[in-house]
Amino acid sequence: MALNLTINSSNPPLGALLTAEHVKGTVSVSVEEGKDNKLRVSEEVQFSDVNSITRYLARVAPSLGLYGSNMLEQTEVDHWLEYSARRVCGQSNLTPALAELDMALALRTFLVGHSLTLADLCVWAALKGSGECQAIMAKTGSFPHVCRWFSFLSSQVPFVSVGNKWATTKMAAGK
Amino acid sequence: MPMYQNGEVDPALKALEQRQDEILRRLYELKAAVDGLAKTVTTPDADLDATSLSSAATMCASKEVADLDTLLGKDLGALRDIVINANPSSPPLSLLVLHGLLCQRYRVLSTVHVHSSVSTVPPKLLNCLGPRHADSYTRQRFQLGFTLIWKNVPRLQMKFSVPNMCPIEGEGNVARFLSRLVGLEPQDPVAATQSDSWVDTAVFQLAEGSGKERAAVLRALNGALGRGPWLVGSELSLADVVCSCCLLQTGTSATSTPANVQRWLKGCQNLGHLACIIPLLQ
Repeated sequence: MALNLTINSSNPPLGALLTAEHVKGTVSVSVEEGKDNKLRVSEEVQFSDVNSITRYLARVAPSLGLYGSNMLEQTEVDHWLEYSARRVCGQSNLTPALAELDMALALRTFLVGHSLTLADLCVWAALKGSGECQAIMAKTGSFPHVCRWFSFLSSQVPFVSVGNKWATTKMAAGK
Repeated sequence: MPMYQNGEVDPALKALEQRQDEILRRLYELKAAVDGLAKTVTTPDADLDATSLSSAATMCASKEVADLDTLLGKDLGALRDIVINANPSSPPLSLLVLHGLLCQRYRVLSTVHVHSSVSTVPPKLLNCLGPRHADSYTRQRFQLGFTLIWKNVPRLQMKFSVPNMCPIEGEGNVARFLSRLVGLEPQDPVAATQSDSWVDTAVFQLAEGSGKERAAVLRALNGALGRGPWLVGSELSLADVVCSCCLLQTGTSATSTPANVQRWLKGCQNLGHLACIIPLLQ
C-alpha cells in the first residue's frame, strides 16, 4: 500500500520531507503539493502534524533505525522531536536553545546513538527553516559543535536535495 | 654482555627480577579482589543468604532482572535510578500513574526529595509515591529506583543512565519512556503513532492551549471515543493515561464535558490506575 504525503507548499515541513526522502527506498511514499500537511495511510488513518508524520514513517521502515535502536535512544529521539517543535520553531530568542544543543553535540557526531535518527532530521529542519538560527550560525565562533554537526548533515545527499528544493520557499514564507 | 660476567648473574638483575615477580603477584591479588567486588555488585542478592529465600521468589526475581536487561541493556551493577525533577506548581499526574504501574511490575525503590530551590511543598506531594520502603537501605534488592525531586524547574526533566542518554525534557516524553517499561506502548506502527499524537495533543493543546483549543480537543476526544472504549485500539494505552490526567488536572465540569469523554473518564477511574492521583486533585 502506497503512502501519500501532501505538503503545504508555501510553508513546507522540512522534517517530514527529509524523513520521506530517507525512507523512500524502503517504503513507497509519494509527495504532492497542496494546502495542508497530511500523511494518508489509509481511508481512515491520516496524520497531520509533522511529529506524527515523521514518527509513522520511521516506524514503518524499522530497518533504517530512524527511531533509535533501543528504548533509551527512542526516548532521546522523543526529546529532540519536542525540542525542535517547542524550542526552535516560532521562538524569538534562540540563544538558550542553541547553547543547549551545542552542549549536547559536544561529544557526539549524531544527536542520538551512532547513526542518523529522526532527532537529527527534525532538529536540522527546524534550524534550517529559521532565519534567526542561520544568522546566529553565520557569526564565526558561535556554537562550534552545532555548526560542525549542521554543516556535516547539510553536505549529505538527502539534505542537499531537500535544502535546495524546499528551504528557500520556507525562508521566504517565514519573513 | 656485561651482565653475565664470568657466568654469574648480576645481583642487580636478580633484584630486578624479584621485584617484578612481587609486582605481578600483587597485581594478581588486586585482580582477584576486584573480581570479587564486581560479583557482589552485579549479582543483586549476592550478599544475602540464599537459603533464606524461597526458590519461587528467586526465580521470579531473576526472570524480571533478565527482562530489564533486554529492555535497557546490560546492567552495570548499580541501581537503575530514574530521577525526575518536577515543579510542585504542576505535579506530573501521568507520571505518578505510570509509577503505580511500574510498581506492579518491578521492585521499585521510590523516594521523594525537596530541592533547595523550593521552600515549602504540601504534605500530599511529599507522600505522592506512597509510604516509604522499610528496607530502603538495601538498594541492591530493588530493580529500579524512582526518585522524584520537587524543584523549581521551568520544564519537567528526567535523568537516567546519564553516560548514554541526554536529560529528557517534558512530561509527555518521560511518560513515553515509562510506558515502554510497563508495556503500554502499542506495537503496531499506526496505533503507536496515534497514541503519540494524543500525548502531543494533551501536552501542547490541552495543558497549555487557549480555551478555544481546549474545546477543539474535547470535541476530537469525544469523536474518537464514540468509535471505541479507549482512544487507541481496544485496550488502555498511554494516550488514555496522559489525556485523562491532563483533563483531571485542568479541571472538568459536567456541563462542558461531552458525554463520551465523561463515560471514558469514569472508565479510566474504574480501572484503579488513577487512584493514586485523586488526593492531589482536591
